[in-house]
Amino acid sequence: MQLGEFEYLMLTAVARLGDDAYGVAIRQEIEDATGRPCSLGALYTTIDRLELKGLIKTSMGDPTPQRGGRPKRMVRITTKGTQAASEFYNAVMRVSRGVAWSSTK
Amino acid sequence: MTRIGCWVVAHLTRLLNDDEREVVRGDLAECHTPTGRALREVIGLIARRQLEPWCSWRPWFMLVALVIPIGFLLSHAARSWAINAASDVWIYSRFWDFSYLAVPGWRRDVIGAAVRMASGCLALIGWSWTCGFVLGRFSRQTVWLTVSMLTLVVFLGTLGTSTVGQPPENSSLVYHVGFVVLPRFFRTFLVVLPLACGAYRGSNVTSLSLGRTFLGVIVLASATLLVSQGLERSLTFGRGVLPADKGPDGIVVTADDPRPLWFLSLVMMWPAAYALTEAIGSRSASSGAAGGAHSRSR
Repeated sequence: MQLGEFEYLMLTAVARLGDDAYGVAIRQEIEDATGRPCSLGALYTTIDRLELKGLIKTSMGDPTPQRGGRPKRMVRITTKGTQAASEFYNAVMRVSRGVAWSSTK
Repeated sequence: MTRIGCWVVAHLTRLLNDDEREVVRGDLAECHTPTGRALREVIGLIARRQLEPWCSWRPWFMLVALVIPIGFLLSHAARSWAINAASDVWIYSRFWDFSYLAVPGWRRDVIGAAVRMASGCLALIGWSWTCGFVLGRFSRQTVWLTVSMLTLVVFLGTLGTSTVGQPPENSSLVYHVGFVVLPRFFRTFLVVLPLACGAYRGSNVTSLSLGRTFLGVIVLASATLLVSQGLERSLTFGRGVLPADKGPDGIVVTADDPRPLWFLSLVMMWPAAYALTEAIGSRSASSGAAGGAHSRSR
């Protein structure tokens, strides 16, 4: 399964957050990791695309007061998603072998 | 978010589906997103959602195969027939005499004009309805955008063209009604309204009744046969795509004129043929399913 960079970032964020993975939290994780803003449009269209590929599953969570009584869209990574993210990570590791990228600017 | 911002976001998010609307509004509330950013985020998401269906070939196919060619023909046909209808109504109402019905030759002319007008109206309604139906069927998510585009083509398709060599210098009320008001009336009520009804039906109703569809297609095909030459002439005289050919008798607009644009009727009928094919297909599928259920129950 081929993944794009943003798709990989999202799968990783979802895997890291576990049961707490939902729109706002995933977005925060991606923004913290990349230092770039993540728009709602990019977030939810990518969630739909990953769900269509069978890499994640989503469900509606319970409404909460801090959200004005509105529900969250909870996200869970599937086995296929874990495998795809793992393949992407391994490919990045393989291609980076022997290259000394500086970790800080 | 300001109160006005909340109101605008609430209205904008109506363009999203129910679940997504609630989730997005919840996200914005939880993050205390400022108004400007909230608007940008919501507009961005809506734009992506609206553009998503255009990644498929279907809406593009509809644009190329239906919206542009048929919209253009509907535009010319509606204007041409509106002007013809206006001329007939004006002539007969101004010079009406009951001898028109008594003398066989004149009576034939009156009946011919009435049949021409009725067939033209029927054909416009039928073509437009089937176009809307196919747009709804082929690409449900983009239907209102493609319908809007078709409406635009219908109203702007004749821009810069005229059916008269030179309009009268002092445009009278009769001229204004016949050449301006009536074409708009035809386009609105005989094209756009049936188009919208067809689109609504195409995107909502699961299957068409075979009997009704068959009858509708027969009626539409008959009307198309009656007005096919008029359709070709609406383009020849309204757009000047081809020089008017007088034919062997040396007079234009007579029965022996050559018809190089004969295929236009087929172009107008393809959405109806599609609707009929679909009705036949759904009948076969439902009878197949009923047969399967019957044999299982035995």
